[in-house]
Amino acid sequence: MLETDRNQLHKLVEEALPELDMVIGWGQSTDSFQTTPVFVRDAKQISQLTLGPFCSQNLTGYLVKPPALDAAPKEGAKPIGICVKGCDSRSLVALIQEKFLTRERVRIFGIPCRGTVDWNKVGKLVDLSNVKSATVEEDVLVVDDSQTTHRIKLEEVLARKCYGCRYPNPLIQDVTIGEPATPRSTSIESSYRDVDRLDAKPLEERLDFWQSELDRCIRCYACRNACPLCVCQDKCIIESREPRWLTQRVGIPEKFLFHFIHAMHLAGRCTGCGECERACPMDIPVTLIKEKLNKIMEERLGYSAGLDVEAVPPLLTFNPGDTEI
Amino acid sequence: MAVKIFIATDQLDSVLEKLATKIDLWIPALLKEDKSGPTGFIPYEPGKSPVFERQTTLPTKKLLLPQVETLLRFEYKKDPEGGSTSSIVVDDARQVRPTLVFGARSCDVRALITMDRVFSQGPYVDPYYVERRKNTFFATLVCEQNDSKCFCSSVGGGPADMEGSHLKIVKLDEGYVVEALTKEAGSLLEGLGEAVDKAKDTKAGKIVKEASKRIVGDLDTKGCAEAFRNRFAQNDFWVQMVSQCLSCGVCTYVCPTCYCFTITDETQNLKGERMRSWDSCMFSQYTLEASGHNPRPTKLERYRNRVGHKFSYIPEKYEGILGCCGCGRCIRSCPVTIDIRQVVGNLKENSNEQ
Amino acid sequence: MNNNPYLPEMATVQEVITETGNIRTLRVTLDNKERMDQFSFRPGQVGQLSVFGTGESTFVINSPPTRKDYLQFSVMKTGEVTSRIHQLNAGDKVGVRAPLGNGFDFEAMKGHDILFIGGGIGMAPLRTLLLYMIDNRADYGDITVIYGARSPKDLCFTYEFADWRAGNVNLVLTVDAEFPGWKERVGFVPTVLNEEAPSPNNRLAVVCGPPIMIKFVLFNLKELGYEDPQIITTLEKRMKCGIGICGRCNAGSKYVCLDGPVFSYDQIRAMGGEL
Repeated sequence: MLETDRNQLHKLVEEALPELDMVIGWGQSTDSFQTTPVFVRDAKQISQLTLGPFCSQNLTGYLVKPPALDAAPKEGAKPIGICVKGCDSRSLVALIQEKFLTRERVRIFGIPCRGTVDWNKVGKLVDLSNVKSATVEEDVLVVDDSQTTHRIKLEEVLARKCYGCRYPNPLIQDVTIGEPATPRSTSIESSYRDVDRLDAKPLEERLDFWQSELDRCIRCYACRNACPLCVCQDKCIIESREPRWLTQRVGIPEKFLFHFIHAMHLAGRCTGCGECERACPMDIPVTLIKEKLNKIMEERLGYSAGLDVEAVPPLLTFNPGDTEI
Repeated sequence: MAVKIFIATDQLDSVLEKLATKIDLWIPALLKEDKSGPTGFIPYEPGKSPVFERQTTLPTKKLLLPQVETLLRFEYKKDPEGGSTSSIVVDDARQVRPTLVFGARSCDVRALITMDRVFSQGPYVDPYYVERRKNTFFATLVCEQNDSKCFCSSVGGGPADMEGSHLKIVKLDEGYVVEALTKEAGSLLEGLGEAVDKAKDTKAGKIVKEASKRIVGDLDTKGCAEAFRNRFAQNDFWVQMVSQCLSCGVCTYVCPTCYCFTITDETQNLKGERMRSWDSCMFSQYTLEASGHNPRPTKLERYRNRVGHKFSYIPEKYEGILGCCGCGRCIRSCPVTIDIRQVVGNLKENSNEQ
Repeated sequence: MNNNPYLPEMATVQEVITETGNIRTLRVTLDNKERMDQFSFRPGQVGQLSVFGTGESTFVINSPPTRKDYLQFSVMKTGEVTSRIHQLNAGDKVGVRAPLGNGFDFEAMKGHDILFIGGGIGMAPLRTLLLYMIDNRADYGDITVIYGARSPKDLCFTYEFADWRAGNVNLVLTVDAEFPGWKERVGFVPTVLNEEAPSPNNRLAVVCGPPIMIKFVLFNLKELGYEDPQIITTLEKRMKCGIGICGRCNAGSKYVCLDGPVFSYDQIRAMGGEL
């Protein structure tokens, strides 16, 4: 099935490429299993493009981050093609909502997603240090570590975000590759199980949890830079020199401040794509902070970011007559 | 004769406990209660078991260059007579204690060859680094766990490379053979462990010999300094190599040889500190001048500088040594799987093909 | 300097001169009198000036080694440290780490005609060498200075122009546009350079100013027949340690703080790297 989808992707990209500046998609990294973003400008590169459960990166950030590919395109500039999964498409919607992009700027290759692999989880089951090959056969991940061939159920090693995913199919797209996927979750309740589990604990325990998790933070800002909606980038408040809000120290207070500023700046904007958590070298569940805010947004304001291009994010507007504020 | 001891697996904790009474002891350990989770070096505590089975996520770098350290303290003294004049007391806040890292790897220690030159080959000598270096001892594992991202042999090192180490650790099935490589290190082992019998010695010797023969990584770094210079102005090459880069600091923070730092002042009321902390050449602020001019305004120039620094500028400055120890951490931790071996490998190719 | 190169020496601001709307000059002396007496440096070497609690910033010591009543730094307000420095008054304490960097090779310049080309605050690094040469006037040939700024209000060191001229210096002053009461030249520095057209024979050009000025000055110098080794400039970069360790001010394998800030254009070309 993957093979068919990949062929379809190649064919569609080949057809569209002459009208496009480039197509951003996933390709194989130097590793046998992880993917790396590829920027296809030339038909010769099309064969590099791949799809499937290894394509974890959300590529939409490349459209808006410096050096943005072409943030303010010249008139007549060709659109940029981009491959998106369901969750990635929500980032795209949010970026269009916030006017970082116009819909016409992008040609969207929508890819229904059955979940992406979290290699940290696979690493608990298989020694990943010398993997010869990794492939997917239907719902099974097959890893050959040069001694044994391991067969692992994909469902057991997906990224945390995937288990609560309500939108595996792109919400915005020009073409679809493959068959639609079935959502793993259809309700707020089943989407925020991890938040609820943590919320059920007493306050002290939650504090302990976050202290011990965030203590590992090395302030590399991979979470921030991987986030497609962290659009301030080089102007980030965290690194501002004047005024200097945050010291260079690496104590818990600094780490808390950074992560909670990061989360607050995403309140009502985060689409839950999980890039921050995936990018973290220290395995800190940073998306969970944003999930908590997302849950509040849904429960209190009935709003989920990145679902509707026309919707106005509630925190980007205000009504002087609002009695709730 | 070199001091050599054997520590049986079940005796390791008690030996480490005794060692910790002689010197500040750091071990590689889990940073999260998760067998396959992130690891790094932490101060030894009884009951904490070292993780020798795999390379640590974070290197030993912070032992010599802490992520944040105080360079000096200052205090404004108000003139009791009033007026604008106040005096300032400045005190250089160096505090260094003898420390032993038990379970480093040759790549970690290899990095010090670079660091030593930068921090002590002058013309200015960094007293904070130099004092820590003098007081930090490395007990290094003969490495048997290299993975597909390792390339220590490509940059002058190797799995059994002991240059710069003070003690050598060889892991056997039944325990560890620890051998002092310097006289000072020998005294650390006094009264610890048991004698190494012939059989174990032979076994350890065999392991070392095999590790020494192993070639880890196939990156050809010969001529990379010149190749880099030729590639420097080829914008298309860098666009191809690093368009994926997110410009985050992971690669630099997990890197044992990335040493670039910033200096900032922090004050509270009349007292304050001047601190040195890790910085990253991947951050735009790193070179951003107050005027607004930035010599390295985008990730292309920044990543290029990282490659240039390690594979061209350092070798040019310091007799050909590379600013890379081949540990592969930057490859493992990169969120978008950029592989520095691929970039360096392509420096020399004549074509612009990936 | 003590054995810890990060540790500044305590110094006291003796005088603050307001040069322009955003440039001030500080004259400071080291508190340790013996150190002050022994303090030796080359023109063009820099110092790290610290305001404890805000940080350090690098400035050229723009007084010459021949005049050592004080060390002079001219500071344009651009960032956090410079803003804080602008708040300093006579009597305030600062830290000084100096001298750092290479300085001008004034020995090798002996016997040459000299052309100084400065723009705005860029006159500061030239001033130290200019005064040194005035104080050793017989060692150097013709000295021509082309100094320009946006308006007369933006020129630094106006109070000593007469002294420069008295030191047998051909001082050509220019501003970008006509200004009431302005009797000197009008026009951009590169244009005035072409009008003056000092011969490149046995002459060295020492240039410092904003990047855009440098760009056109360089172009015009080449047109006038100056070769790269004849053109000397001082580079600027964001700096922290000032001693060639912290990594940020490199251009290729050279550190501006340590190997510079003074470079000739052939050196700059050879080192590559981002400027």
